[in-house]
Amino acid sequence: MVSDSITTASIPPAQNARDFGKKKRAHRSAKLKQCKLDARREQWLSQCTAKNKGCKDENNGGVQRRNGGNRSLEDLEMNSRGEEMDGSIRQYRDLDSPSNSPTSEIGSVLDAADSGTNFTGSSSSGSSSSGGSCSGCITEDEEGGGEDDGCLDDWEAVADALAADEDGKGQSQNPCSESPPQGDSVGQVVSPSQVTDNSMGVGGGIPKPECPKTIPGASGNSRAWRPDDAFRPQSLPNLSKQQSLPNPHRHYGGGIAWACNSAVPAPSSCPVCYEDLDFTDSSFLPCLCGFRLCLFCHKRILEEDGRCPGCRKPYENPAEVEASVNGGSLTFRLARSCSMITRS
Amino acid sequence: MQASRARLFKEYKEVQREKMADPDIQLVCDDSNIFKWTALIKGPSETPYEGGIFQLAFAVPEQYPLQPPQVRFLTKIFHPNVHFKTGEICLDILKNAWSPAWTLQSVCRAIIALMAHPEPDSPLNCDSGNLLRSGDIRGYQSMARMYTRLAAMPKKG
Repeated sequence: MVSDSITTASIPPAQNARDFGKKKRAHRSAKLKQCKLDARREQWLSQCTAKNKGCKDENNGGVQRRNGGNRSLEDLEMNSRGEEMDGSIRQYRDLDSPSNSPTSEIGSVLDAADSGTNFTGSSSSGSSSSGGSCSGCITEDEEGGGEDDGCLDDWEAVADALAADEDGKGQSQNPCSESPPQGDSVGQVVSPSQVTDNSMGVGGGIPKPECPKTIPGASGNSRAWRPDDAFRPQSLPNLSKQQSLPNPHRHYGGGIAWACNSAVPAPSSCPVCYEDLDFTDSSFLPCLCGFRLCLFCHKRILEEDGRCPGCRKPYENPAEVEASVNGGSLTFRLARSCSMITRS
Repeated sequence: MQASRARLFKEYKEVQREKMADPDIQLVCDDSNIFKWTALIKGPSETPYEGGIFQLAFAVPEQYPLQPPQVRFLTKIFHPNVHFKTGEICLDILKNAWSPAWTLQSVCRAIIALMAHPEPDSPLNCDSGNLLRSGDIRGYQSMARMYTRLAAMPKKG
């Protein structure tokens, strides 16, 4: 139901993007689509709950009156986003929908004033650059239910900018921007903004339990991380990415990738003696092929033929490995992990 | 000694747990000696050994799993890499390519694979190897099928 209402509301200049999105949609499960859309929308909606009341009349009135019976989720999203992001997202709306001339004029006026400050305000240069170029992607994303490959990075950049912007601005202007309980939040937002029952039913029907946690975190962190930033904390609480993306670890840099690598060859028991690996054993990586075994069996193998059971190559520099076993198995392992990070 | 015993015991439990995992292999441990095992393997399909059930004898050394187990055919088999009289098997993983990560179960699998893909260039059974090397596939198959029927199938009537 989400995709239907959005598609009907889409605007003519986005025709290409919509066709593309339709193709994509064929390959995508409807559930995933809805999850993403709902999570994203509810975040926006609940973030701008308070602001909506104040400024919806001056800004949104034009669009909603113009579109008349055609107004729907698309408008709601546009409006709420426009209010949150000030100039930056309104710019997209201009590019996407020249037909919305009243708002786009307002928006572009505001753009001239705001866009520069907004984007320089967000600390990640990547988000600003990709944000400028992703106007098509946003429409397509809303219609097609989210791009997996090309546009997700832009999405994340937008989310970063949104969070950063919201932090600076939303905190001061909206003292009540903490999200209300999620099931109600959509209803609260929808009814004051006089949008049709259509979208209210959609939003209320699928409550997202994760979102209330997400949004306060989003306003707490002002730093925008690139998705591939190696220094991005893994447990970063903000940025609905973690919740809204079905497979988030695909976007992270080396850390998770290395965890995946190490998860595969790390057995719970030694494959030679079948005894359980303790902590020292499981952090012991004697061969580059990744074959793990317990220290006891490794020592016995070194005494006999000295070849790795996994790849049958002789263990390199038995003395050195022994030293690392005795003294610094931890450093040995760290060196390994670093090399894997750079490789991946 | 203790390590090999412990490992064999774990393998025994594994075999008991996954008895039905591989219907082509039946591994049985000797009642009184955990270092003696017997295996029954089914001849792979689309080979002259299809339909036969072959018995293997495992003698596990005390250094196991650092040393490979000694395996031989108890059932007579006409195969280039199996000694016709003693049942000795010429298989690299039972000699220099052994790895402690192998198990008795995986050895059985390797032997089934060897039955399906004979290596006539390192023969223990020269008659069989010569037939294959001279390209007489039909001769090799009929000999192998005959011995399978004679030795590896239940007698009829």
